[in-house]
Amino acid sequence: MRLLRQLSRRKLRTTLTILGITIGIWALVVFSSMANKINSLVAGGSEYFTGKILVTDATNFAVGAGIAPMNISAADQMRELDDVAAVDAQIQMIYDPEASQGFGPAEFLLGSIAGSDEGRETFAFTPVQGRLLTPADEGSNVVVFGSDLARKQNAKIDDTVDIRGESFTVVGILEPTLTAPDTMAIIPLQAAQQLMAASLPQSIRDAISADELISQVVVYPKPGVDDAELAAEIERDVDNVQTLTGAEFDEQVGAFTGVFNAIIIGVAVISLVVGGLSVINTMAMSVAERTREIGIKRAIGGSRRRIIRELVTEAAVIGFIGGVIGLVLGATVVVLANEAGRSSGTILFELTPGTAIFAVSFSTILGMIAGVIPAWSAARLDPVEALRYE
Amino acid sequence: MEQKPTALLEARNLRKTYRLSRRNQVEALRGVDLEIAAGEMVAIMGPSGSGKSTLMHILGLLHSADRDGGPAPELRVNGSEVGGLTDRQRTRMRADTMGFVFQSYNLVPTLTALENVALAGEYAGVARGKAKQAAMDALGWVGLSERHSHRPMELSGGEQQRVALARSLVNEPMLLLADEPTGNLDSARSQEVLEMLRRFNRERGQTLVLVTHDADVGGTCDRIIHMRDGLVEGVERRTPLA
Repeated sequence: MRLLRQLSRRKLRTTLTILGITIGIWALVVFSSMANKINSLVAGGSEYFTGKILVTDATNFAVGAGIAPMNISAADQMRELDDVAAVDAQIQMIYDPEASQGFGPAEFLLGSIAGSDEGRETFAFTPVQGRLLTPADEGSNVVVFGSDLARKQNAKIDDTVDIRGESFTVVGILEPTLTAPDTMAIIPLQAAQQLMAASLPQSIRDAISADELISQVVVYPKPGVDDAELAAEIERDVDNVQTLTGAEFDEQVGAFTGVFNAIIIGVAVISLVVGGLSVINTMAMSVAERTREIGIKRAIGGSRRRIIRELVTEAAVIGFIGGVIGLVLGATVVVLANEAGRSSGTILFELTPGTAIFAVSFSTILGMIAGVIPAWSAARLDPVEALRYE
Repeated sequence: MEQKPTALLEARNLRKTYRLSRRNQVEALRGVDLEIAAGEMVAIMGPSGSGKSTLMHILGLLHSADRDGGPAPELRVNGSEVGGLTDRQRTRMRADTMGFVFQSYNLVPTLTALENVALAGEYAGVARGKAKQAAMDALGWVGLSERHSHRPMELSGGEQQRVALARSLVNEPMLLLADEPTGNLDSARSQEVLEMLRRFNRERGQTLVLVTHDADVGGTCDRIIHMRDGLVEGVERRTPLA
C-alpha cells in the first residue's frame, strides 16, 4: 500500500512508465490472440479430418472444398468397398452467395442425412440450445446453426430464417467450437439438394436430378485401415474424384497456415521485443532520475540489498500494473474487433487464459529484470557522489 | 582532579586523494588527527577546498581514508576500529549510531515528513509501527508534529531542515554529523536550527560535529577545528572543558 502511495505521488513518471509497458503488452496480447485464432482453426480442421477421407469431384478448384456437383451413385460405389465402414454423402455450399466473403472462415451450408456416419464421427457437435438433426428431419426445412453464424443471423430456436430463398425453422444452435463449424448451418440432405439444384445451370439440372445431387462424400475407413491406401483405392475405383486424408490436410493447410502463423509469431516476437525494451528503458530512466534519492537512502543507513529490493519491488508493481492495463486494452480490442467482424463472419482473435497470464507475468518479470540492473548499479554508487547528483 | 571525557571519535593519519583523472589529483586530506569527546559540539571550519567536507564524509563512514601513501590511518568510533569494516557493516553502523544533516536537506520527495523520519528508523531495523511512533516523537522535538503529513515540497526550507534534523535524531544516535546545516537558510531560520542543535547538545548530551564556514555558527560550538589545505590548522576552544 505504501508503495502504491509513493508511486501515485510521482504521477507523471509512473504514468509514463506504465504507459510504455502498457503499449508493449497491448500489442503482445492482440497479436498473440490473432495467432491463437489461427492455431485453433488449424487444430480444429486437423481434428475434423482425422480418421476420415473427404472425397470430392475432381473438377473442384481446391481439394477439400466440395462445391462442384457429384452424383450420389459415387457414394454408393464407395460404400461397396471392403475397407469402408460408413459413408456420409453431403452437400456443401456457400451460405449466402450474395454476400461478399470477409477474411476468416467461410460461411457455408452443410446438407447431410443425420446419422450417416454410423457413430464414427469423432468431432462432436453439441447443441447449446435446441437439438441436433435426426434422420427423421429429411424432407423438412429445418436448420441447426453454428454459434457465430447464429449470432450473425440473430437466429433463435423456432425462428424462421430465409436461406437461399427458402424458409427454414431453427431447431438447434451449436456450442462454439472455435473452428469452421461455428460459421456453418446444417440442414437435411434433401433440403440441401433442392437448394443446390436451384443454383445450378439448366444444362446440369437436365443431366442430374435433384435427389441424386451431392458435392462431397465423407468416407469413414474401418478400424485398422490405412487412410492413404483407401484413398488411393477410391481414386482408382471411382471415376472423376479426388481425395483428401487427414494427413494430407495437415500437410496442405498446415503448410499454408504455417507461413501465416510464422508471420503472426514474428510480429508477436517483435512486439515482445519492443514492449520489453520499452519496459527496460523506462525502468532504467526512472532509476537514473532517482540517483540522488538513492544517495540519501544510502547515507541514512539503507543497505544496498534493501535499496535494490525497494527498487525491484517497485519495478515489479509497475510492470504488473502496466501488464494488467495492457491486457485489458488488448482484450478490449479483441472483443470489439470480434464483435465488429461478427456481422461479416470475420472472427480474427481468440484471447486464451494462457495468453492473458503470460502477458501479465511477462510484463511483471521483465519489469523486475529491467529494474534489477539499474537498481544494482545505483545501489553501488558512492553515496556522496549520488547526493551531488542533480 | 580533571577527568578527560571519553573519546567518541578518534582519528589518526586521515588522508584522502581524489583521482579525478590520470593527471588531475586532488589531495583533499593530507594527514588529519583529531579526537571528539562524547557530548561535545564541534565545528569544523575552513575555506572551500580545505578538506572539511571530506573529513566529515570519512568520519561519517561514507568514504574511507586512503591506506596507501603514508602511515596507516586509524578511525575509532566509540572505541572500535572501523577501518576494516565491509560496506554492509559500515552501512549498519551509520544507521545505528549516526545521524546526518545536509545543507540541501536531502529529504525523499515522495515521502511525507513522517515517512522520511520513519525511514531512518526502519533502516536501523526498527519495525514499521514502532518507527512511525518514534518518528512522531522526533517530529515533536523539532516542533513539527502538526506538519507530519506534508511532503517536502509543501514545507519551507527551515521546516525541511527541521524534518531532516528529526530524521537524524530518530534513532537517538551517538553522533550527529551536520554538513553546512544552515547554509541554505536565512539568518532567522538559521538561528532557529542552530538553537535546536545547541539544545539537543545541552539537554540530551548529543555529540555534534558540524561543518560550516559561517563564523556565527562556529561561535556557538564548544570547539572549532580550523582546516586549511587538507590539514588541521588550529583548534580553538570556546568553552572550557566541564
